[in-house]
Amino acid sequence: MPWKQGYTISDEKSLADAEVHWPDGKRCAIHIVVDLSVASGPEGIGAEDLASPAAAFAVNDGLEGLLDALARQALRATFAVPAVMAECYPDRVKDIVGRGHEVAAHGFKGEDVSALRREEEKARIALATDVLAAIAGRRPAGWFALPRQKDAFAGGAISANTMGLLLEAGYDYMGNGLADDLPHYWVTDFASRQAILTLPYYYHFDDQFFCMFPTEGTGLENPDALLRNWRAEFDAQYRRGRFFGMTLHPQHSGWCHRLAGLEEFLGGLGRLSDLWNPTGAQCARYWSETYPAAKSLKLAPSIWQDYPGSLS
Amino acid sequence: MSSDRRSAELAELKAAAAQQGSRFRRFEDLCWPKGARIAVNITVDFDAMLLRRLNNEPPMELAKGEFGGRVGVWRLLELFAAHDIKATIFTPGRICELYPEALRAAARAGHELADHMWEHRVPKEADRARDHLMKTAAALEAIGGRRPVGSRSHYPPSLLHEQGFIYNSHGARSHRPYSVLDERGQPLLLELPFHFAIDDAMFFSFAWYRSGNAGQRLADTDRVFDLWLAAFQQQYRQAGYLNICLHPFVSGRALRVAMLDRLIAAMKAQPGVWFASCEEVARHCLAAQTACVAPKAAPSP
Repeated sequence: MPWKQGYTISDEKSLADAEVHWPDGKRCAIHIVVDLSVASGPEGIGAEDLASPAAAFAVNDGLEGLLDALARQALRATFAVPAVMAECYPDRVKDIVGRGHEVAAHGFKGEDVSALRREEEKARIALATDVLAAIAGRRPAGWFALPRQKDAFAGGAISANTMGLLLEAGYDYMGNGLADDLPHYWVTDFASRQAILTLPYYYHFDDQFFCMFPTEGTGLENPDALLRNWRAEFDAQYRRGRFFGMTLHPQHSGWCHRLAGLEEFLGGLGRLSDLWNPTGAQCARYWSETYPAAKSLKLAPSIWQDYPGSLS
Repeated sequence: MSSDRRSAELAELKAAAAQQGSRFRRFEDLCWPKGARIAVNITVDFDAMLLRRLNNEPPMELAKGEFGGRVGVWRLLELFAAHDIKATIFTPGRICELYPEALRAAARAGHELADHMWEHRVPKEADRARDHLMKTAAALEAIGGRRPVGSRSHYPPSLLHEQGFIYNSHGARSHRPYSVLDERGQPLLLELPFHFAIDDAMFFSFAWYRSGNAGQRLADTDRVFDLWLAAFQQQYRQAGYLNICLHPFVSGRALRVAMLDRLIAAMKAQPGVWFASCEEVARHCLAAQTACVAPKAAPSP
């Protein structure tokens, strides 16, 4: 079998802390992702989702609250925007761009694409890219496949074709991978060393799993645990000089005391002068130039064997 | 229910309880070397993405597991080195082909490499199960230079015994290590008790054992620190034993390495804590069993 296909997507070992350097001698990178999806399950945003009180809150009070908090703390974020949200709320998306944030793509409707035929997925990527380019005023550089509260797994869903299609469509980065806590390369073809830069994501730093999870009403409310996770991970990654990423949703983190907790956390970061706060595209550009795949991706030849009675 | 059926049911239940009692034996007065008050085994289940692959989970779940091989295992090795602790790395044989460099580093650092099944499952067919166990033992020996003597697995105790294994670390019939007996009441293997309550995945790994969303494990590190320190203190008071189970893809996350660093420091702050590999604890118990302690049968039901 070629390489370790079906098991691993990147090389055997990540960069050591000492090998990680950020622009201008900054110590640690912080990437804030705001997911504008209001989808509750794998099918993506439906009419019912858009008609819900939570969606109304998300695109009004919630989004305004997050944008104001980011502005007060002088932080930039990457907004992962499903194309249908841009179609429904073009002025909101333009406002986000106007405030200096990045607009990246989050699917056609923030859906699970794992069962789509290749051609259908390709068409949806093209459509979402065009919609966002037209409304945001520039082609998105990043693509996200973030999870939803009712997904079976918390990592986000892609198909076997997704990463290759994103490269074909000219994307600079994929926004949520789990194989590292640094930007890393997701290999789409071992023979040609084709790979897409992937930014780290982890569900323990994503508010949707702590705010009335999994379902508004009967879900569990643990925003205090979320805050402790953010603090513990940030402190540890800051000490190591690596990368801290968090994922926010206006309908979750924009609410009331959760927003206050978030801003208190972000306010604590503002006191640190050696933090680098890029958007996804800025981070991807820096990483691709400083740690290009051709030099930094160390793919060992496979020693994997097939055995009778074992998985291939 | 007739009285005959009640009697039959009672007989069946008594037989089940008697069987249970006849298959393991606790040690009385097990004491640790150099007057230590507690033995602590830090164990690492290095399955990375294998279990998720076996369960046919989607790509992002495999990537979540891959973190363990690319990042997590290295951090745990650094943590153990910083605290001068020898750990036991329970390793599926297949990992030898996925992360040989990390395993070589672990062996060089003096950690114990032990069996964790070939691909995180035990085949139902006896021959194939034996084949998997032998393949894993050979793969670990090729990497670490020593044939493993321990396992964390569902293999039958008789098979592990036949293949020269001296302990398993899978069940928790007692707080402290105990003997697993064969049908004639002879010791087959030592069991070093592992408990899910001291397993990082139970607190942190989403969809663990296919658990549903409403039952998710999303604890923060402070909570687990408090729980595990309480477990340590309870065992410390009674000359006990603690087996801490870590997965590199879970505990190798930066926030958890930091928590474990605090936890190990808190344990080390107590006098008389014996941090050892599972093999060391097993050999100590086996020597004590034959040399200095008269084993007492578990109470008959």
